[in-house]
Amino acid sequence: MSLGKETPQRLRMCFGASRKEEREVEADGAVPEKEERSKPNLMHPPPRRRSYVPPENLQSCLESHVREVFGPSVPEDWQQAPLQDKRLKHRLLARLATELGHTVPNSQLHRMRCAGDVLGFYRTPVKDSTKIDELTAAELPPNLKIIWQQ
Amino acid sequence: MIRAGAAALRAWSRGRGWAALSTAPPAPPAVLEPRKGLSPEEPPVASPVLRSCSVPVPSPLSPVQAWVGSLRHPQDTLRGLADLHPDVFAVTPRLDILHTVATWQKNFRRISYARVRTRAEVRGGGRKPWRQKGSGRARHGSVRSPLWRGGGIAHGPRGPTSYFYMVPMRVRVLGLKVALSVKLMQDELHVVESLELPSSDPQELLELARARHWGHSVLLVDTNEFPENISAAAEGLKSITLIPALGLNVHSLLKHQTLVLTLDAVAFLEQRLLWHDSRYSPLVPFSLPHRDLPGAA
Repeated sequence: MSLGKETPQRLRMCFGASRKEEREVEADGAVPEKEERSKPNLMHPPPRRRSYVPPENLQSCLESHVREVFGPSVPEDWQQAPLQDKRLKHRLLARLATELGHTVPNSQLHRMRCAGDVLGFYRTPVKDSTKIDELTAAELPPNLKIIWQQ
Repeated sequence: MIRAGAAALRAWSRGRGWAALSTAPPAPPAVLEPRKGLSPEEPPVASPVLRSCSVPVPSPLSPVQAWVGSLRHPQDTLRGLADLHPDVFAVTPRLDILHTVATWQKNFRRISYARVRTRAEVRGGGRKPWRQKGSGRARHGSVRSPLWRGGGIAHGPRGPTSYFYMVPMRVRVLGLKVALSVKLMQDELHVVESLELPSSDPQELLELARARHWGHSVLLVDTNEFPENISAAAEGLKSITLIPALGLNVHSLLKHQTLVLTLDAVAFLEQRLLWHDSRYSPLVPFSLPHRDLPGAA
């Protein structure tokens, strides 16, 4: 009876100790990784931010790219230019992605059927921050304080 | 120089051995060396990789699309455009089917080995402990009845129990299609032309996944064998898993956040999953040899 009561406690002590050791090992493993990552990485630049703000000259920029890619076969209204041909579509969308820094995601690719759809996509801004970050950054009334520690 | 040539030759011979088994055309060997030399810089501008559906798409539907990238450089994501069949990658998101198939996967293999003894199996308890009347105590017939301490259990688990059941093949196939569609529509599916890495460093692979915003866990799918670099790099990592296309299943798709398919894997999946839409019911189970099954044999 007494042995039965003691051994689970001893087992818990052993497992607790090994868990602490694992946590220490993980912390040790994590710290040098973080130090390595904080050094300026020429081979691995930090991932691009996902926020996107449409530039002011978007329409003219897009029109010039469409005319460049399609060449003489652009219809009168350049927004009606069809993107059925995969080659032209890839060329246009790859150019826009490299220039504007914002790629059409896979889920929206099938919706881009003409240049007007592409224009509509690139007009919508994309936000990177969460609502709480926006609230902390916005002007708040004096009796409202947000403490948000990350 | 000689060592680099010998290594390229070995890699080429291995590539040929693999290509002899599969139907895909063998990769040209001469292209390996210049690519290795250019791997840390921007890759050379090549013609776009365009893939159209091998199975024809019926008329009102139109194919869904995905970018084709490569793993050679973190910014090499826009190499081409692949068409994906809508009956595999754009199916109605049936969450009930995902639940059915995932629960089936978890439970059909389960055998519970719990077993407890009943009053008949517990040692002892054959004799009536005291007489029926007159002793003042409650009447009992055996010391091992479920009422007694140390007695048998009345309705406990009895013996190895199997929870085996089968969900119809078409439901399992539809589950895979739904899972793939959900991954594509949530921007968690990526297509890659091949799984070749410039080096077998696990940290490089993690940096690549981080730079491309792939998520916490990545599932990489290829048809037959994996190149050495990626299998060496992913061996020690817990968040990156390699799976052959035959082993793709709903549980793994739900468990991992991102799915990365090669073009061969996409063709394989489309062919195998679409065959079930237009097949006859089996007169004989498919596990027995058939002449006209899709894929090998």
